[in-house]
Amino acid sequence: MLPRAPSRLLVLTASLAVAAPPAQAQPSARDIVDRVDQLLRGRSSQGRVTMEIVTADWSRSLDMEIWSLGTEYALVRVLAPRKDAGTATLKAGNDLWNYLPRVDRTIKLPPSLMSAAWMGSHFTNDDLVKESRLIEDYDISIGFSGDRDGVAVWEFVLTPKPEAAVVWGRIEEQIRQADDMPVWARYYDERGALARSIAFSDFRRMGGRLVPARMTVEPADKPGESTVLQYQELAFDVGLEPSFFSLQRLQRGER
Amino acid sequence: MASPWVRIGWRNLGRNRRRTILTAGGLAVGYCGVVVLAGLTDGMVGEMLRNGTGVLSGQIQIHAPDYLPERDMHRTIGGRDGTELSRLLERADAQPGVAAAAPRVYAGGLVSTGGATIGATLIGIDPTREARTTLLLGSLREGRVPRDGANEILLGSEMARTLDAQLGDEIVVVAPAADGSLGNDLFTVSGIYHSGIGDLDVSTALLPIGTLQRLLALDPGRIHEVVVRVPDPWAAPGIADALQTAITDPSVAVQPWTTFRPEMADYARLAQSSFWLVLVIVFTMAIFGVANTLLMATFERRFEIALLRALGAGPGGLVRAIVAEALALGVIATGIGALVGLVLITWWHHKPPDLSVFFGGFSMMGSYIRPVLRTEYPWPMFGWAAIALILTAVLAALYPAYRAIRTPAAETLAGR
Amino acid sequence: MMTRLGLLVRLALRNLRRQARRSVLTASAMVLGLALLVFTRSIGDGAHETWIKAGVRLASGHVTVVAPDYLPRRTIEDRLPAAGARAALDALARSDLAPLVEIAAPRLELRALASSPRGAVPVVVYGVDPTLEPAFSQLTTRLVEGRALLASDRLHAYVGVGLAQRLHLRLGDRVVLTAQGADSTIADQLVRVAGTFRSGLPEVDDGVIHIPIATAQAWVGVGDDVSAVAILLHSSRDADRVVRSLTAALGTDGTAVALPWPTTTPELDSAVKLDDYGNYVFHFVLLLIVALAIVNTILMAVLARTRELGILRALGLRRRDTATLVLFEGTLLTTVAGLLGAALGLAVTFGIFRDGLDFSAFYSGEMTAAGAIIDLIMIPEFRLDHMLQNVVWIFIIGVVASLYPAWRATRIEIAEAMKFEG
Repeated sequence: MLPRAPSRLLVLTASLAVAAPPAQAQPSARDIVDRVDQLLRGRSSQGRVTMEIVTADWSRSLDMEIWSLGTEYALVRVLAPRKDAGTATLKAGNDLWNYLPRVDRTIKLPPSLMSAAWMGSHFTNDDLVKESRLIEDYDISIGFSGDRDGVAVWEFVLTPKPEAAVVWGRIEEQIRQADDMPVWARYYDERGALARSIAFSDFRRMGGRLVPARMTVEPADKPGESTVLQYQELAFDVGLEPSFFSLQRLQRGER
Repeated sequence: MASPWVRIGWRNLGRNRRRTILTAGGLAVGYCGVVVLAGLTDGMVGEMLRNGTGVLSGQIQIHAPDYLPERDMHRTIGGRDGTELSRLLERADAQPGVAAAAPRVYAGGLVSTGGATIGATLIGIDPTREARTTLLLGSLREGRVPRDGANEILLGSEMARTLDAQLGDEIVVVAPAADGSLGNDLFTVSGIYHSGIGDLDVSTALLPIGTLQRLLALDPGRIHEVVVRVPDPWAAPGIADALQTAITDPSVAVQPWTTFRPEMADYARLAQSSFWLVLVIVFTMAIFGVANTLLMATFERRFEIALLRALGAGPGGLVRAIVAEALALGVIATGIGALVGLVLITWWHHKPPDLSVFFGGFSMMGSYIRPVLRTEYPWPMFGWAAIALILTAVLAALYPAYRAIRTPAAETLAGR
Repeated sequence: MMTRLGLLVRLALRNLRRQARRSVLTASAMVLGLALLVFTRSIGDGAHETWIKAGVRLASGHVTVVAPDYLPRRTIEDRLPAAGARAALDALARSDLAPLVEIAAPRLELRALASSPRGAVPVVVYGVDPTLEPAFSQLTTRLVEGRALLASDRLHAYVGVGLAQRLHLRLGDRVVLTAQGADSTIADQLVRVAGTFRSGLPEVDDGVIHIPIATAQAWVGVGDDVSAVAILLHSSRDADRVVRSLTAALGTDGTAVALPWPTTTPELDSAVKLDDYGNYVFHFVLLLIVALAIVNTILMAVLARTRELGILRALGLRRRDTATLVLFEGTLLTTVAGLLGAALGLAVTFGIFRDGLDFSAFYSGEMTAAGAIIDLIMIPEFRLDHMLQNVVWIFIIGVVASLYPAWRATRIEIAEAMKFEG
């Protein structure tokens, strides 16, 4: 299974909901992606995550609960620390809302603010909102197939199609052949300079699937900074409907 | 004891008062015109400098050395530990030439009403000090300055319009805090300002510095900027240097407006240099008027001059007489022109004609200019114009003087 | 009555000729004064016209055709339908308007977010016609690197140099533009940097991108609609006339209105008017000096002719006629001199300085005012209305300057006058 642009937190969760059986023989990269794409619609998930952020000026740790439905809907609520508990973000289609419990208000984020960091992490609002359309936006080829450090892996190279509305010049991903687990993903600008990289680790079974429970994002231009996502709990096919993802639920703080 | 020729020259003025008055009048108008135009130009340049630097940025700014240009919220003066604010401000106040100083905290965030959410620059200010240092609070249009401890905020006019916010409305303010959390709180609109500078009115909201520090999880000693007012803009570079040397703890970078707004310095110089063209034109005209008159006067008095020559007056004496007359004329004209000019300039300095009735305001070099023709006192120009005028008068006399001594006396007396 | 007047006129003319020296002296002040006036006025007018044109190039042109509710919010819902734009362009092609128009450029203006791997900034995107835009904004002449847009371009962008720096963009790099489309959904568009420009105006260099209009229309899904048709005229003074014609042509169905530049760029209008005012003060001072010089010389001339005038009185000329005579002399002389001076001024201005007066030595970098980059070479402009004003002023000065001397002439007593030498 080829995870979709793994930098996108929710999409990762969603995509983990549709782990496909390991590939037979040597299917084309495009087939793999396409199959996953078809399976993704209509799958729901729920989980608990810890996010640790290290920047040059401060370090923080957040506990969050996440619900998602496909790539269209998602709800993230912060549980800890106390100062931020109750802060929630709702994505429905292309719109993004933030709920601020301290003032009990909901604000809708306009497109111009999509570049801002989400909750201070190295993800942006845009990462949350944008539905990736990998096979539409990228041409996928296999850069390497073989052993790295004794583990059989593929390294896929994703090259954006000439008219795709994406900023990356190239994305590279390393996937384990045995179980389709991603190992790392690297994002390059058009001149080949690394812009950010994501490492996957702590592979274990959660909600009936094998998943990388730990994701580390490192920006290339700020050495020493990182955001680490650690899954504590994860469940799939929990029966969520689009109506679940409403502004009322955003504000109410219920499960 | 003035030579007899000089006295003759001087007395000639009195003998034909009308001509003297008219000629002196022409010169005086030239002088007065130049001086008043200089005053108006200085006034306009001064307004531009005052607004460009006086509304928000101040004439001198003090930051932590690594604060600019990114304006990273964490790079406060004195680093993580901040600084003793009162000591820093007093040190700035005490510098000769400084009129006032005010502290500032900056943040980028969101402001939102029920209807709309927009990005905004938030500035934390000390209202008392700010009012002494910049003009921004003076452009308050409705309501009042926000009070500390009351969660009040001051919005720009265009921002209020976009948000459809009125006095007393509730605003949500969200900004990333220094500890990584998302600072957010509810504020009440206590006032709306209208600086006239479009970029400012649409993007910037002001709140008390303590309130913003709490929103951003910054200690009270952590600020980003000290803004300093120096009433004479051209003294700013020197004073900035002095402050840079004087303030060693905390480590700071001090900049005058000529560094952070160099285009304004350029414009001021351009306005002043183009004014010399005006000066030349006006004085050319004035020279002409005087030369004309003196030439005709010499012609009309040719009998008198011939008689004097016949009586033995040498050419030197005659020239001196004519030049003395012109000099006296010049001095009188300068006196009158300076007096009238001073009256006009003082009047328009304190009660400038306000043309807002005909035009609105406009922006130049990013500052807002109101069409108020306020004059400044162009003291150097008073001096330069006086020198130019007197030189003019004397030079203008030379040709007629030359003509006077060239004409053979006998022919003139013969009744030509 | 006629004969008397005729007599006085002939006398006046003859007197002027006889006193050549005095006449020349008086006239010369007027000649110089008017030459200077014409010179400075023409330069000033030319500078204003250049200033206005520079300003409206970077804004919405001398005349703008928009949907009635478009200003001031400029949202995509209030765009100009394709039919309205076409009607405007058709009207401009008509024979009565076409000669006045330099270029008419349709544009689509959008607020968007521009993203690169290194960040994202809010920008204003202009969808422009690459064949028309160069003549309109002249941003093509301010190229820093790469090239401006071509007619064959589709996914290319012409980017302000400040913006390119902020997003760490080099030529050929991808930029993703995100905006709210016509149906309120968020739409993305990829473009690549074809070239960068430096206008000198920070708000333009840091926040403006040009892309082909067809690409912009497809991006936000507006079909052939535009935001505005921006029209650049040869002379800013034709704006009102063009607005009137267009308003008539566009009809009253409310799909489109034509706006003159003082409405769309009021800042520029105020600035130019204020500068105008300053110029009037200067001209007033200049003319006052001229007037005083003339009064002086005419008066001196009259007084010098005391005996002559006394004789004329003795011969039967009434006091009143003496005054009229002096008045005629003064007015005639100054009028002729004034016209000569104006002619001299015109010759010097448009002969020697036709290519302009260059101030750029005094100023480094770019000077901006009211949203325009001031061109520091001031090219003179001839304005018939201003020249006519000048002529009127000449006449008025001539009359006024002669009044006091004329009155003095009436005070001449025959007996006393005989004591003077002639």
